[in-house]
Amino acid sequence: MATASGGGEFVDKFPDEAAIVKASFLIAFVSLGIGAFFGLIQALHRTNVLRVIDSADYYTVLTGHGVLLAIVFTIFFLCGVFHWAVARSLDRPAENALFSWAWVGLMTTGTILATVAILGGFVPNLGMSADVLFTFYAPLQAHPIFYIGLAMFIVGTWLAGADWFLSYRAWRQNHEDERIPLQTFMVLTTMIMWYVSTLGVAVSVVFFLIPWSLGLIESVNPLLTRTLFWYFGHPIVYFWLMPAYLLWYTVLPKLAGGRLFSDPLARVVFVLFLLLSTPVGIHHQYLDPGIAEGFKFIAMTNTMFLLLPSLLTAFTVVASVEHGARQRGGEGYLRWLGALPWRDPAFTGMALAGAMFAAGGFSGMINAGMNINYLIHNTLWVPGHFHLTVGTAVALTMMAGSYWLVPQVTGTKLYSRPIGLLQVIMWFIGMVFMSNAMHRAGLAGIPRRTAEPQYQNFDFLTPIGSIFELRVQIALGGTLLFLSVVLFLFNILLTSLGEESDRPVDSHLPEPLSGPEGSPRVLDNLAMWTGIAAVLVVLAYTLPLAGIIQNGGGLFGGGLPVPATVSAGFDLVATTVTSAFNTLWGVVA
Amino acid sequence: MDSIVGTADDGIVRELEHDDFDPVGTLVLVLIYMAILIGMWVFMYFVEFLGRGLTVVG
Amino acid sequence: MEIHAYEKLWLALALVLIVGFIGTITYGAAGAGIDMIDDKGGTVDPATLDQHPKFGDPGIERSGENSYDVYVVARQFVFEPGTTQPLRVPADSTVTFHVTAADVIHGFEIVGTNANTMAIPGQVSEFTVEFGEPGEYGMLCNEYCGSGHHVMEGQIVVMEQGEFDSWYEQQQADGEAEN
Repeated sequence: MATASGGGEFVDKFPDEAAIVKASFLIAFVSLGIGAFFGLIQALHRTNVLRVIDSADYYTVLTGHGVLLAIVFTIFFLCGVFHWAVARSLDRPAENALFSWAWVGLMTTGTILATVAILGGFVPNLGMSADVLFTFYAPLQAHPIFYIGLAMFIVGTWLAGADWFLSYRAWRQNHEDERIPLQTFMVLTTMIMWYVSTLGVAVSVVFFLIPWSLGLIESVNPLLTRTLFWYFGHPIVYFWLMPAYLLWYTVLPKLAGGRLFSDPLARVVFVLFLLLSTPVGIHHQYLDPGIAEGFKFIAMTNTMFLLLPSLLTAFTVVASVEHGARQRGGEGYLRWLGALPWRDPAFTGMALAGAMFAAGGFSGMINAGMNINYLIHNTLWVPGHFHLTVGTAVALTMMAGSYWLVPQVTGTKLYSRPIGLLQVIMWFIGMVFMSNAMHRAGLAGIPRRTAEPQYQNFDFLTPIGSIFELRVQIALGGTLLFLSVVLFLFNILLTSLGEESDRPVDSHLPEPLSGPEGSPRVLDNLAMWTGIAAVLVVLAYTLPLAGIIQNGGGLFGGGLPVPATVSAGFDLVATTVTSAFNTLWGVVA
Repeated sequence: MDSIVGTADDGIVRELEHDDFDPVGTLVLVLIYMAILIGMWVFMYFVEFLGRGLTVVG
Repeated sequence: MEIHAYEKLWLALALVLIVGFIGTITYGAAGAGIDMIDDKGGTVDPATLDQHPKFGDPGIERSGENSYDVYVVARQFVFEPGTTQPLRVPADSTVTFHVTAADVIHGFEIVGTNANTMAIPGQVSEFTVEFGEPGEYGMLCNEYCGSGHHVMEGQIVVMEQGEFDSWYEQQQADGEAEN
């Protein structure tokens, strides 16, 4: 049933919050543009189609691409969506507008510092660079302002989370017995997961990498800082995914003409992510020495169970979309797909993103397999995988979602639906070429993160087709993706400059088919879930970290001994955890 | 051309409540997906991976 | 909590799939005998690698009837051995690699195979493979290690046992002569 937006758009009801959303989106989209341009340079360079920079500078470009897209773009967009979602679902403005601007400002300052450090890598003799890539593994070292910028950015996100928790707390005072509105529930569970997970990288950056880059300490233990990074590096992918899931669960059904199939299942999924996102990081280190196979096996089983919330999401989201199709008159087992509003770029973009995620999920399942990891670790298969997931499931959903969200914060209509539709389809096609070729190239053994993967001593072999056609597909795909971003930015820019409209967008969100009243109240017990998440992290990480520190050259590597008190502390924790395990095992077995 | 996004509701011809709707189309799609997953996993593990010569055995 | 029957079916299938994945991996480990890189290689001091009894002179040494140990040092931007001279191993042999890094984190990949590991300063990756027929393999660094990362490559030459033995004896003799 069509409804007028009546009562004004979000920008009319919540002007301060709309301004925060616009600022967040602005920074996100500028980063997207620069990051995409860098991606184009890479796609043409590593395939030897067009080389306009030195191969040494490729790694500067790659660092910029990773940081600007996988940290700045995605997370600023998350901040915009979450700020919108909290105000909208609690129906109240943020507690303190100045505080909101403070976290935007802190994140922006951090971004600028880190970006300047990275771009400094293009200027010879400047003495400032950060050619360390998105993962910044020591002993590769960046200029201190790179690490300081990242630390400021992370602290900014912590403050953003506090902003939303404060809104929730204030709302709770007037709504004592109510279930947490779904969108706010998703924001809060995501942020708790983020607090748990950023702990690892914060420790690494603040206690090791910053002092080391400033010359205050002589060396760091490379395996330790790498492990602390991956403690954080896996959950960050859920920090990317969960805003996309928020859009798929709460917005996509409406875009399809339907209603969310099940609110309770959405809550269960987000709780599962809160619990399982962090105690899996070691699956990025299956081929690392210094970590026992048992810990890798535990990380694997946790990871395999982490497939569950995504598989459940597939069902619930597709069912919600199907509901829309059938409300629009769709019939049959598969014919109903034709009844969907494919002319709407917001719908089509999210639907294509979801379909592509199904493929990306599979290559992720392979990555999760402990021993099959030998086949694809550090090959081009890995970027093939994550361009389907963060690169499409997340990025394309964010772009498609923007077509629906931006008009709500500007009060203007989308400049062009056809260009929006062209943009999302072009992204999908470009990614089909590029990612498929990357997967096949990875199976041939072609490495990731390499400026010139053309070697003297040997040739890569591929059972079907040729290495040449794989390179062409990567170059072609990368070009289509870049053009798609140009179209997106153009459309959004002109939207924001457009005339105010009485009805810029249909922003009404219907009630779910199955509401929260049908679900156990314990789902809303955030404190309990946080406690369990913390326990799981301690179980997954204490012993491996203790091993890395005690047997692997100490806290600082380089043969420096572990300070006695720290060693004693770890012994205590390790003994406690081991005896707890043994007791539990004794009870269970 | 009208560029109002999100107007799928305008195309609704019948309202389906909770009890009116069984996601049979979804079931078909996810079963197809499951079949693809199983097939691809078996291929990747037993042909691509175990089928390769040099493997770490100790 | 109400879950639709179809979604319950899907949940059950998803759990079976997950268990199936874990089962396959376990089969690979227990049945096909695939071992993971772990902590058995021990640790070293990256600053004094040149004085290390094994990594100070990296290369291949015979450890048994048909088994060998190969010590590899990865550094910016070469594998020692492997880059300036190919790494030579005999056909149909069991070779245990011990790989470490002298400066930054590197990767060690034998192209087109399942032999793949990280080389981390301070740590030793120890793994065993069985070489088959004579032939050649490429090696490359698959972990970004600096501006010359893309030139870091090498070669493994699998030789007939007889030829390998002659070459190996020559290496030992040259080594003696040096000392």
